[in-house]
Amino acid sequence: MIQMFHVSKIYPKEVVALSDITLHVQKGEFVFLSGPSGAGKTTLLRLIFRDELPTSGQILVNGRNVVRLRESKLPALRRSIGVIFQDFKLLMDRTVYDNLNLVARVLGVPEAVSRRKIGRLLKEVGLLRKADETPYKLSGGEQQRVAIARALMSDPAILLADEPTGNLDQDLALDVMRLLVEVNIRGTTVVVATHNRRLVSEMGQRALILKQGRLMEEIH
Amino acid sequence: MFWERLRHLLDETFLNFRRGGWGVVASIGAITVAFLVTGTFLLLTLNLGTVVAQWAEDFQVIAFLADAITPEQVTLLRKRLEGELAVREVTYVSREEALADFRRQIRGQESLLEGLKTNPLPASFQLRIQKEYQTPTALGQLAVSLRRMEGVEDVLYGQEWVDRLTSLVQVMKILGIVIGAVLGIASLFIVANTIRLAVYARAQEIEIMRLVGASRSYVQIPLILDGTLQGGLGAALALGMLYVLFRATLWQLGASAPLIFSGGELGRFLDVEYRMGMVGVGALLGAVGSLVAVRRFLRA
Ligand SMILES: Nc1ncnc2c1ncn2[C@@H]1O[C@H](COP(=O)(O)OP(=O)(O)O)[C@@H](O)[C@H]1O
Ligand SMILES: [Mg+2]
Repeated sequence: MIQMFHVSKIYPKEVVALSDITLHVQKGEFVFLSGPSGAGKTTLLRLIFRDELPTSGQILVNGRNVVRLRESKLPALRRSIGVIFQDFKLLMDRTVYDNLNLVARVLGVPEAVSRRKIGRLLKEVGLLRKADETPYKLSGGEQQRVAIARALMSDPAILLADEPTGNLDQDLALDVMRLLVEVNIRGTTVVVATHNRRLVSEMGQRALILKQGRLMEEIH
Repeated sequence: MFWERLRHLLDETFLNFRRGGWGVVASIGAITVAFLVTGTFLLLTLNLGTVVAQWAEDFQVIAFLADAITPEQVTLLRKRLEGELAVREVTYVSREEALADFRRQIRGQESLLEGLKTNPLPASFQLRIQKEYQTPTALGQLAVSLRRMEGVEDVLYGQEWVDRLTSLVQVMKILGIVIGAVLGIASLFIVANTIRLAVYARAQEIEIMRLVGASRSYVQIPLILDGTLQGGLGAALALGMLYVLFRATLWQLGASAPLIFSGGELGRFLDVEYRMGMVGVGALLGAVGSLVAVRRFLRA
């Protein structure tokens, strides 16, 4: 599903974010991407949905060569990948409903269809009653779950989650993880970037460990 | 799918409009001013051009006759005039006809003539001139020879005026083009700036849309449409104001208007081609302005 071959990413001023990464995530897998802050986790995720291009190396996602992807094919790639951003990227002045509906509109889904889908997803993340609130009024954990629901709006084949438990306490963190595992069970390939080693060991899933932009070890 | 797309397009465009608030108002206002100024020049140039062309056609040379002239002298004079190489057509206007014409021209203000006991207007020969002789020198010579003829009291020789007005129209045309171009470019930048602000105001939303798989055009087209609408609306508004201004001016001119626009043709508003052209150019300016903004400020 996701393959990287000798991928390096060097930001301007010689900041080496990733160096010589080769990895393979199978279809339907649940994988942690772990390592201390600044290790390159976010950068690696951004390469997958082509928010950044690698300095060198090749990346295949769902059979597409991401590096050589034409501009016109970018929307299709992005629609097949749901992303939960570390900073959520929610529109704070729109309702939860409108935040989710934005995706439906981009996809050209009729309002009637998207309304049902938003209802289902909000129920799944336990926020049905907050549909008409703005994220501004929600707690961090609730905002996190809105971000998850939005990432699932396009029924993505791949779900990328960047520090989805970032500032949650352990109980809430485990709730969120359970949610992601459920999504994975229904067939979505899930990659979770987290610096929380305890969470990784508690979940007992495959984990790729990054340190200073290098892939150090794999835990199975 | 199609309806969803169309709805999105309209929703987004009007959303930009609403969010833009005073920026959009200022943008449309600037375009309106630009087109109002340019349109005024266009209107004046066209109308003056028509008037001048009419004068050139109708009243090239008028020979006014002495009041004491006898019918025999008139006949003789006509023969001589018809013999002139420069003259294409000779029309005799008697004193009575001249007065009737004048009455017709000042229709509605006939009271002006009420106090008159005698007809103050002279009889005249109105001469149409051959094309080859429609030059200041040729007409000058003709005027000199006409003045020497017996029974001719005075010669009104409009060519000088026609020439002056023609060059005035020419100058106004050029001035109009220059001013129009300058204001056009200015409004292009104003639209570009408004759209730039719209892009900034919605930067986060646009970023999210791109990240969840919106194509570039999906994001750009509503913004460009927005600019196009601003341009078209501004031009249309200017056209409306211009029309009101035009009507008001004609009304103000009132009595004198029929004299200025002689020959029955009162001042004409811009033809439908011009009107559509103006709105089209406005829309085009808006489109180009927003395209520039989108290209420069939407790196998504
Ligand atoms: N857009 C960027 N421009 C320049 N340097 C960056 C950028 N994004 C990340 N970096 C640098 O790349 C390295 C890896 O960052 P990141 O991928 O965010 O790590 P992590 O998500 O593991 O904390 C860091 O040194 C960071 O400063
Ligand atoms: Mg990070």
